Amino acid sequence: MVTLMIILKSIVIGALVGFGVGAGAARMFHAPNVQGMGAFRTFGELNACAGDPISHFSFGLGFLFNSWASVVGAGALTQDVDHRVIPNWAAAILLWKNKNVEETLHNPKRMAIAGAAVGVVVVTLLNSTATAIPESMQLVATKVLVPAANWLINPIMPIVFWMAAMDAGKRTGIWGTVLGGMSHLVMGNAVPGIVLGILIGKGLDDSGWNKITKTMLVAVILLFVLSGFFRAFDVALLKSMHVEIPDWLVQLHETFGSAVKK
Amino acid sequence: MGELTAKGFWYSEWAFPLFVACLASGIFAGTHLYYVYHIGAFNDIAIVAMLEAGIKGGGYGAAAAFGASFLFARILEGPLVGILDIGGSLQTGIGIGVPALMLGAGFTAPLTSFPLALVTGALLGFVIGSIIILIRKYTINAANSTFGADVMMGAGNAAGRYLGPLIVISAIMASIPVGLGATAGAAIFYYYNKPIAGGAIIGAMILGAIFPIPTQ
Repeated sequence: MVTLMIILKSIVIGALVGFGVGAGAARMFHAPNVQGMGAFRTFGELNACAGDPISHFSFGLGFLFNSWASVVGAGALTQDVDHRVIPNWAAAILLWKNKNVEETLHNPKRMAIAGAAVGVVVVTLLNSTATAIPESMQLVATKVLVPAANWLINPIMPIVFWMAAMDAGKRTGIWGTVLGGMSHLVMGNAVPGIVLGILIGKGLDDSGWNKITKTMLVAVILLFVLSGFFRAFDVALLKSMHVEIPDWLVQLHETFGSAVKK
Repeated sequence: MGELTAKGFWYSEWAFPLFVACLASGIFAGTHLYYVYHIGAFNDIAIVAMLEAGIKGGGYGAAAAFGASFLFARILEGPLVGILDIGGSLQTGIGIGVPALMLGAGFTAPLTSFPLALVTGALLGFVIGSIIILIRKYTINAANSTFGADVMMGAGNAAGRYLGPLIVISAIMASIPVGLGATAGAAIFYYYNKPIAGGAIIGAMILGAIFPIPTQ
């Protein structure tokens, strides 16, 4: 009875999640003109498979084994189901029939429908099969795919985006460098910072300092300050400079629910 | 990117909150599954463990603060860069942070009831999607500039090419048979004009099934 409930609920959840992920992933290819939803790593990995259905399928399969092990062990599906398995398998299904990425992978409608179908199958499969998968397959995922994907996220993607920012002009290069470095410090990865740098640099190139670019700069500064605070970067910075952390700062962190060690 | 094709409902601004609502609804309901059956949370073990610590009676502070801060940062970042990061905003923010806040306040109904979980997630997702579109209206959309979209697309495409060689290198570092399999797979795929990442993974998996990677 419990298993049946899990299966029924998983079908609903899988369809909802897959629909959203598929539409969001396809819209990423039209960003920033269209608001997309996914992740920069998903975007990079989807590009890496270059519209080849077998590559999309095997990439998703590798991470499916990883998610499987995690859900069997701890009940956690991992973020990879949304980031990797669903978008890549949805792409693989669509590309099987039509190799034109413009009409398949980049089309939100088709990706949403394919994503929903994949989501139903994958989420239900993962949640209902408590039997362990072959350990050797799981090892390939954790020892080969995970390190490679981590290298792609850091340092390959920061470097590639950084180079692109520097090649796009002096202003973009400077903003990209400064915000990229800050972003790697505060947020753990330079890519969002470099993208913001490209955005501000190109915005200034095209239209100079106007209301919009100024608003964006304020939003970016706000983003860095708040991200830094919530990730306790301020405390870590003071600590690494051997400065005593004032009590009011510790209390301020406590009021937002995060305990900070002195 | 095809200005002519990028029109209609599926590309529109107002459809975005609906897509976020779908995804957030599913993710929040996934946390409901985890809360009730201990399976199906859409997040990594380390992050789910923070919620688990709260469920076990250790306090929801860590999960709530972690999730809420990610959610906030991603909502601000999403409209500016054009890609809402679902890992930070929805999977961690809506999937872990918000449930931790609710449970911390003794508000368990949205997590124990499946229909209520779906509705709660959808509402939260719709609000987040709408905020993002609103921020876009006053920044990106109001300007007569593409804000370097071509630069970012170029970088995104270029970064993807690195994955194939990275998988081969990673496989070689894992074990000799797996490394040989990945190399052969990559070479075969390259010969047939296919992206080498797929061949490297298939090669690594086949050889890894026959000769398991040793664990120390």
